[in-house]
Amino acid sequence: MIGQGNPHTGKTLLFVPGNSFIHRINPLTKLVGLLWLAATTFMLPPMGMAVVFIAAFAFGVIAGAGAVFVRRLVLTVTPFAIALFVIHGLLIKRPDMIDYGLISLSPGGLTYMAHILVRVAALLTASMLFVTTTHPAILLKSLDSHGISPGIAYLISSPLLLIEPFSARARAIRDAQQARGLDLNGSWKARIKAFPALLIPLVTLALSDLDQRASVLDGRAFRARPFRVVLDAPVDQPYERWLRRLLLLALPVQIGLLLWL
Amino acid sequence: MALIAIENLVFAYGPKMPVILDGLSLSIEAGERVAILGGNGSGKTTLAHWIAGWLPRAAMNATSGAVLANGKAWPAWTALERAEAVQFVGQIPMQQLSGFAFTVYDELVFGPGNLGLEPDEIRKRADWALDICNLRHLVDRDPFTLSGGEQQRLSIAAALVMHPKALVLDEPTGNFDPESRDNLLDQINRLPSDLTIILCDMALKPALAIAKRFVLLDGGRIVADGGAQEILSHPRTSAIFGMPAVMEAALLLQQAGHWPAGEDLPLTFGRAQEQFGRITHVAG
Amino acid sequence: MKFDTRTLVLMAIAIVINIVVGQLAVWVKLPLYVDAVGTVLVAILAGPLAGAVTGVLTNVIWGLVSDPTAMAFFPVSLVIGLVAGILAGIGWFRTIGKTLVSAVIIGIISTIVAVPIIVYMFGGVTGAGTDFATAYFVAVGQELINSVAVANLATNLVDKILTCVIAWIIASRMPNRFTASFPFYQKAAA
Repeated sequence: MIGQGNPHTGKTLLFVPGNSFIHRINPLTKLVGLLWLAATTFMLPPMGMAVVFIAAFAFGVIAGAGAVFVRRLVLTVTPFAIALFVIHGLLIKRPDMIDYGLISLSPGGLTYMAHILVRVAALLTASMLFVTTTHPAILLKSLDSHGISPGIAYLISSPLLLIEPFSARARAIRDAQQARGLDLNGSWKARIKAFPALLIPLVTLALSDLDQRASVLDGRAFRARPFRVVLDAPVDQPYERWLRRLLLLALPVQIGLLLWL
Repeated sequence: MALIAIENLVFAYGPKMPVILDGLSLSIEAGERVAILGGNGSGKTTLAHWIAGWLPRAAMNATSGAVLANGKAWPAWTALERAEAVQFVGQIPMQQLSGFAFTVYDELVFGPGNLGLEPDEIRKRADWALDICNLRHLVDRDPFTLSGGEQQRLSIAAALVMHPKALVLDEPTGNFDPESRDNLLDQINRLPSDLTIILCDMALKPALAIAKRFVLLDGGRIVADGGAQEILSHPRTSAIFGMPAVMEAALLLQQAGHWPAGEDLPLTFGRAQEQFGRITHVAG
Repeated sequence: MKFDTRTLVLMAIAIVINIVVGQLAVWVKLPLYVDAVGTVLVAILAGPLAGAVTGVLTNVIWGLVSDPTAMAFFPVSLVIGLVAGILAGIGWFRTIGKTLVSAVIIGIISTIVAVPIIVYMFGGVTGAGTDFATAYFVAVGQELINSVAVANLATNLVDKILTCVIAWIIASRMPNRFTASFPFYQKAAA
């Protein structure tokens, strides 16, 4: 079924098909869980954030998405880490700076850098866990069966489906323009001019579809009724519903405790 | 009452814009198989939109004349009523996809879901459409990864699940290779016989494959309206469409006075073979 | 928050454009983002609310397909759509001159919204080219938050000027038949 992934959206999405228990949790529960976890992460000390990071990563590996996790973590965190090290470790003058001759290192700055990194890593891994184990189609069906506005549902599903076809169109325009002499390797002035030469035809082409697409939706009675019938919505166990309520209630309580203590 | 009644329709897209439809009158009864033939710029697609009630509300203003579906003008129909009355399938396959569905099955159940039908009814209709349009083997595929021909079949299936009274097709086989085109036309011919089909095209072959009534559109006006023979022998037809060689040959013979009176022009190669054989036998 | 079907389709297309435009920047090998061009275009045609929603959902979709940390910047996209829509509504996207002014305003406001996120969430770094400039300012003794602000303001201004100009070009070239059914645009152009 959808869980198998598809050639197009398979390339687009971070979703990793699988059958782990995480995959099988109701998407809405996972969403609420993610929001709760993200908010809680901000309230935790760095050790707690590290636990979140490690746990989320472990679950990601169990779900079969380990490779995707590693790739995204490396791509995102590395430039951050380098910049943080340079700016906070080396450059910002703090009272505890230790002079090593050519450079000065600040342990306080390095600690700060570590705190930021572990928080970013925790939040990123938690989000990745959600995104790699939840196919948007299933998430949307779940939201649909709980009354999400069809307009918002459309604004999530349609772009996801169109990314690959539009990228293909962009490539076709690039090839056509190059055949007509567009230089993508020239001076930076030439390249700045090349940019609109690629973008404007793409947008024009994209917008030429607009009337037809809107008419197709109207023709299929889109929003003709306040609610639409959605088949095969994911199973929603009673205990999951209670879990979600619990998590949502827990947040203000946690914030209150934090402020009070 | 006619299913679609167009009375002296004059239409342009804006006050200073060229007139696309110029005093057009057309009446289509339920159950008909009509082909509206016209070249580029004939107003064919605009007419198709009017028949299907597809013009965005803002642009549904005729300069003069009226279009009535079951006696009621389109703007008086609700979206729900319109969706179950007439469905439209356009030329460009990818534009017909709703953007809601990650699988072919979901694309099919999207429309009926919007109608608020019972889940069992929705599944029944989806199954029926899957089989009629030969899509069962594609049921879990992402619609955006299908070939153009498959997407067109899906669009037709998605239109059929709405159980419309009429189906308007605008150059459905536009960019197809001959084999895919024949496949699709074959599929269209197997649609329920109580379904009114209006095929707008600029090629003769698809029209001849499906329709019994032919309307020739030229410069926003109807210049002919009748059966195959009438259309084929109309002076504008071969100029606009080009014709299969055998028909052209028969027409030339007819114009030169060597075609037997009362003999139909050949619609197929086989018929032409038989007719030419007889004629040359007589002449020889 | 009920949008017309045509407006919804416009927004969906704009979201995809916002996402695909990054690919174009890679092809011309320039450090451009211009990832709000769809947002600004929607704001011009359909108003501030539509623009804001387009911006926010672009961040959400980006989080689903590429980098979840992008979702932290949704307030920036929201504000770009909102401000562009408000400016368009009072006619400040009608001429190229006014568009340039609007671009500067948007660049400044979006930097103001972005800086707290960059500093608080990410310790003042963006993982991109602006970090070199930030590092420079810090090295010569500026406060972190000021360094981040100045470094990002410069990039943001160039980026938003390019974005708004392209959006303006596209909007002005649209045929009347197309723009006729966007009442917000019609009112603003009157």
